[in-house]
Amino acid sequence: MSKISAGTVILRRAVARNGRRLWSGTALAGVYQLCAALVPILIGVIVDRGVATGDLTALLVWIAVLAAVYLVLAVTYRFGARRLQRAIAEEGHQLRVELAARILHPRVLRAERHTGDLLAVTTTDAEYTSYLLDHIPRITSALVAVTVSAVALLLISPPLGLTVLVAIPVVLAVLNRTAPLIARRVKEQQDQAGRATALATDLVTGLRALRGIGAQDAAVERYHRVSRHALAATLRASRTQNAYLGASTMLSALLSGGIALMAGWFALTGRITVGQFITVIGSAQFLVEPFGVLAVVPGWTAAARAAAERVAAVVGADVVLPPGAAAPRSGGHELRLTDVTYGPLAGLRLHVRGGEFVGVVARRPADAEALARLLAVPDGHTGDVLLGGERLEAVDRGRARQVLHSEPHRTDLFTGTLASNIALRDDGGRHDDDGRHDDGRLDEALRAAAVAEVAHLHPEGLRMPVTERGANLSGGQRQRVALARALLAAPPLLVLHDPTTAVDAVTERAVADGIRALRHGSDAGYGTVVITTSPTLLAATDRVVFIGDGAVAAEGTHAELVGHDDSYRRTVLR
Amino acid sequence: MTHPILPVAGPRESRAWLGAQLRARPGGTGGTLVVGLFAAATAIVPAYALGLLVDRVRAGGGTDALVPVAVVIVAAAVVGGVATGVSAHLIRRLGAGILADLRERALDTALRLPAAVLDRAGRGDLVSRVGADVSAIDRAVTEVLPTLISALLLAAISLGTMIGIDWRLGLAGAVAVPLHVLGLRWYLPRAAPAYAAERVAIAQRSQQFVESVQGIRTVHAYRLEDRHLAGITAVSARARDISTSVFALYTRFVGRIHGAELAGLGAVLAVGFLLVRRDAVTLGEVSAAALLLHRLFGPVLHLMVTFDKAQDAGASLARLVGVLGTDPEGRGGGTAPTAHDLVLTGVGFSYDGTTPVLRDVSLRVGSGQVVALVGSTGAGKTTVASIAAGALRPGHGTATLGGVPVNELPARTVALVSQETHVFAGPLDEDLRLARPHATPEELTAALARVGALTWVLALPEGLGTVVGEGGHPLTPAQAQQLALARVVLLDPAVVVLDEATAEAGSAGARDLEQAAAAALAGRTALVVAHRLTQAVAADHIIVMDHGEIVESGPHADLVGAGASYARLWAAWTARAADGPGPPRTDAAAGPVVGSGDPPVPQRRQVRRDGPPLTAQRE
Repeated sequence: MSKISAGTVILRRAVARNGRRLWSGTALAGVYQLCAALVPILIGVIVDRGVATGDLTALLVWIAVLAAVYLVLAVTYRFGARRLQRAIAEEGHQLRVELAARILHPRVLRAERHTGDLLAVTTTDAEYTSYLLDHIPRITSALVAVTVSAVALLLISPPLGLTVLVAIPVVLAVLNRTAPLIARRVKEQQDQAGRATALATDLVTGLRALRGIGAQDAAVERYHRVSRHALAATLRASRTQNAYLGASTMLSALLSGGIALMAGWFALTGRITVGQFITVIGSAQFLVEPFGVLAVVPGWTAAARAAAERVAAVVGADVVLPPGAAAPRSGGHELRLTDVTYGPLAGLRLHVRGGEFVGVVARRPADAEALARLLAVPDGHTGDVLLGGERLEAVDRGRARQVLHSEPHRTDLFTGTLASNIALRDDGGRHDDDGRHDDGRLDEALRAAAVAEVAHLHPEGLRMPVTERGANLSGGQRQRVALARALLAAPPLLVLHDPTTAVDAVTERAVADGIRALRHGSDAGYGTVVITTSPTLLAATDRVVFIGDGAVAAEGTHAELVGHDDSYRRTVLR
Repeated sequence: MTHPILPVAGPRESRAWLGAQLRARPGGTGGTLVVGLFAAATAIVPAYALGLLVDRVRAGGGTDALVPVAVVIVAAAVVGGVATGVSAHLIRRLGAGILADLRERALDTALRLPAAVLDRAGRGDLVSRVGADVSAIDRAVTEVLPTLISALLLAAISLGTMIGIDWRLGLAGAVAVPLHVLGLRWYLPRAAPAYAAERVAIAQRSQQFVESVQGIRTVHAYRLEDRHLAGITAVSARARDISTSVFALYTRFVGRIHGAELAGLGAVLAVGFLLVRRDAVTLGEVSAAALLLHRLFGPVLHLMVTFDKAQDAGASLARLVGVLGTDPEGRGGGTAPTAHDLVLTGVGFSYDGTTPVLRDVSLRVGSGQVVALVGSTGAGKTTVASIAAGALRPGHGTATLGGVPVNELPARTVALVSQETHVFAGPLDEDLRLARPHATPEELTAALARVGALTWVLALPEGLGTVVGEGGHPLTPAQAQQLALARVVLLDPAVVVLDEATAEAGSAGARDLEQAAAAALAGRTALVVAHRLTQAVAADHIIVMDHGEIVESGPHADLVGAGASYARLWAAWTARAADGPGPPRTDAAAGPVVGSGDPPVPQRRQVRRDGPPLTAQRE
């Protein structure tokens, strides 16, 4: 052990912070195991002292002892298991919350992981890590059971006890040599089954597309093939697993049978009593289980460790942005990019004054993407992105995002209602004491983003339920909802990226007018940047910046540029 | 809203289905049962043989008594090991085979559900049935079924043997049986809803998490980190608390099982005591009975615990068997029409049976013609498109192609490209081959070239073999649309219905897509839902819809000249530089804008001159 890995730290912490429940639960589980080990011994005693002698008192006394053992066994099980389960559930919960906190970190987690991977870490891996708290009591109580039985056997007959203690581990060690093969087959089977499930899910998700081209037959045939592969893998895994099952059943039967026969020989030769003989048979049968636990648990613990490493990798992952603490200078709702190089952007200059409505047109869509991304997460660029004269990445993240709001082009909605998706931050009207005033602002935003008609189409209006990821809304409706929430948030500087690609021409025009009216009316001092190639939106702006190959190619009003710049005209031409 | 619309089979239906499956495999079922019983029988031989040995010991027999017992024990161990392995494999083979058939048939049915049913049911339910439910049954077949069956057989054989030793001993051991049953009857009704609640809580937990992660940009943009974290923490805590209460219930159940074990063991020993005193049985026989019973405790507890997993799998099975019970869409493998004119006559439609979405819609797309459907959101364009493609059946009126009702056409006569694009997960060429399963690589590249997608496809990391879709190389919405069009080219249908195929792409991408669509439509009868009016300009005929009715129709020039609703749409569409920096109007709401202001005449002329050359390409 040279250096402690991050996963080990997570595991140690799991033990430490659940110490009380873990150790008291483990103690109770140990007592439970002890009682369970006593049961076969007591059967032998009862047969020997009660049944064999015909002594009713002895029988009753020993059955009472058996009942007492059972009582202790039941009580310790109930309370021990509950404690341990609480510890495991609590640890899993805490890990999930820590993981979520890291993944949602305001300064943006640096991770090239898929959502699916992250989900797997928060569910499966967090759970497997917490299972360490299950492994510890299992190992402990298995050791207790082995010790008790071994002591009993040694007391009855030292050679017999020694044989048991040597033979059982040897047999289990032999059996466990096949574990890797079984694990491989099982994994193969799970992979194939997972593939079949993924295919089925994918086909049903794309059912409209399939149906549109009448490809159901082809799809069914494809699924058949994959399903049969999965079946073949299942049978392969089953053969391996059950060959193992057969072998282990055979070996453990030979083992406990052998011990019993040996004890039988000792009994026949008068070295042990009949009762002791029965106890040995019962104990030998019983011992196989705790020894089995001791044999497989190292594998489980390895799994917990691997899971903990994956948890640690996320919890310990870097964040992209520095911990900025600066504030934009007073009155600084001004955005200035000087010689910015970022992805395809090469030496971009852009200046948006407070209150201006600026259109940005990129001849290459990648330039537009890059600009929108940079304003959302200012990282990995050279040159300056200044907000109110301060470097954007140095500004306190909360403050920066409050001043400069960049609405993602790909609209993400959340389960809830239309209203909950539009008023994403309930504190949108924190500065207004009057609730009615908020309603007014909401109405304005709804009107400007042409969401009112979406709401009117549904009997519940704004309380219309929105299902997971907004799946029950059309692309155009989602875009309008996103626009409405951005307008309601009323940031001093708003960046919109292709906000109307999925809405019809009439609505787009209404939206363009709405943005203008709401954010650039008489008293508004808001700045708006719209990255788009839509002439309808561009016509509503004060000024347009045209980006050629990553740098500004032309500037002017939309009318001027349409009139004089061929390249611009071609880019915004419908 | 929460009512499942897809049917769920009742317990009797599920059992009947399962029974039919088992009877359909008489060899497998019978063999599994016989081997299983044999394995269970060999498992109890040692305890019995050792019981006999106990009597020999008591009788003071010589060591030679050991030999027959040893032979029996060794033989039983060897044969029993083999039988146990074979039995478990047979059980699993039977279960896995039935499951494979079930999942295939369920998917087959699912893919042929009528669109109307699917729209009402939502895809989520169906996806979870073919996905999560199949996995749940698979797990049960792997982990639960073999132990369940072998434990049941072992219990039956053990009790049988005890009765064989002496019926009174058997009866004493059987005292445990009603206690176990009582325990189960106490536990299962309480556990089922508790486990259901736990599953719901866990599902909510992952849903919250998935939404937060997939919407992370929005979360960051709106500074919602704390709120989402609080939401995740709350649902996670709830799942934790439910799990804890479910587990408390479980421990009480196990307590009852412990009581049943004690009762059985005590009864066997007490009855044994009385019988030995009367010399009805030997001490060895009592020992054998007690050991047999003790040996059952492990497997039976396991059996009890797996009962609720089996119940879970039963619920999943009911949901899958329910899918099998639905009526798939009947595509009459009917006659292929000779003519390709698409005609809708007096079509009315309502999704919910009360609110009409379409009223008396009649239209005709002549063979080889392109007709564009125009109108604002909610006008009913998509519904018309779905009916024309046969995905929905009209409530009133008819939809025919060459005189044959569209829903009786042979498959693959009409292609519908809908708003929703989907890139099928897997290699890109496999995606395309859904449209033409035996397409050669040359055909694939030709189709991609036709829709202008070949360049970017070849630039992908592994070209046509690149894995795309869920979990694969991400494609832009425009690229996904191009793939959809390439599939149409490969399918080569007589009629194409195109619904907003250019929506999500931004202007530059939209132009490319319009060209791709035009290329895919060349030489076919086509009904195009046009959001971008350039698609309408290019059409032979334009139909303008509003609130479920056709309000105007005719060629582009005539409609613009008519100065009615299409002319207003066109005006909004062509509004451009002339408006100058910022339109003067601030009463920006919805409707009125459309009517206010025809663009100046020179403007319109310029647009016509600049108009995209789609018409020429199509000819």
